[in-house]
Amino acid sequence: MILYFLTLVLFVMGLYCLVAKKNIIKKIIGIVITEYSINLFLVLVGWRKGGIAPILLKGMQKSEIVEKGVDPLPQALVLTSIVIGLGVLALMVSICLRLYEKYKTFDMSEINRLRG
Amino acid sequence: MDKMDKYIKDSKSGMTPIVKTVVRFVMGIIFIFGAYVVLYGHLTPGGGFAGGVILACGFIILTLAFGKGLGLSKLSDTWASILDNSAALLFLTIGFIGFSGGYFFTNVLGKGKEFALFSAGTIPLCNIAIGLKVTASVFAVFLTLSIFGRFISKLVDDYEDDTEKE
Repeated sequence: MILYFLTLVLFVMGLYCLVAKKNIIKKIIGIVITEYSINLFLVLVGWRKGGIAPILLKGMQKSEIVEKGVDPLPQALVLTSIVIGLGVLALMVSICLRLYEKYKTFDMSEINRLRG
Repeated sequence: MDKMDKYIKDSKSGMTPIVKTVVRFVMGIIFIFGAYVVLYGHLTPGGGFAGGVILACGFIILTLAFGKGLGLSKLSDTWASILDNSAALLFLTIGFIGFSGGYFFTNVLGKGKEFALFSAGTIPLCNIAIGLKVTASVFAVFLTLSIFGRFISKLVDDYEDDTEKE
């Protein structure tokens, strides 16, 4: 149970970084920390004490997998989520570079000429 | 070897000689580890994506330490693009090969012995294709953001200036 609470702490830390900081790069770091905390939470949901890989080997009963096997769905989901996170991170950084070249600053409060 | 010495002594491009010497020793280990993670993806934690990111980080650390001359001579932007697209097509081809055994991504090759390197049918081939694609595309993203970023934004600025004039 304490592990779930720690992922919540990580999530709140990322959210604080996203809301309170003015620097865009720090905001991006906050988004990434939030995302990783959710990934960690999903992996924890799939965790099972003494679990085995859900592969039916020769001479293995099906009931054994039902008893001990790990659910592979959260892991596959988190792998996809990590890949999508990398793409989103590249997009965010490229937008930041473009903003820096336009406004010569990373400070969010100084970028006030955004009119679409 | 002489070429690398020349790059280390060249003080104009890249970082200090300390970083260059360390990178020269670490570089090979990074590439071997990345190739290991890709090839053993069906046996150990890791796989195509993780190994591809490690390999791409090898190229990125090379570019950061030695400057863009050496990095682009090892894997240029053109070749990164070609490798990216051809690895995607390779992955699709492996998927279509599955139709010969039934449906999409069927494991038609022999499964082999369990927990051996050459086992699990088409899964290692998929891992290699994904590894090549991720290597090329992450390095291409790095190149686009760092080296060509200025160039692209200059193009956008010129375009905006032209439209404002009209």
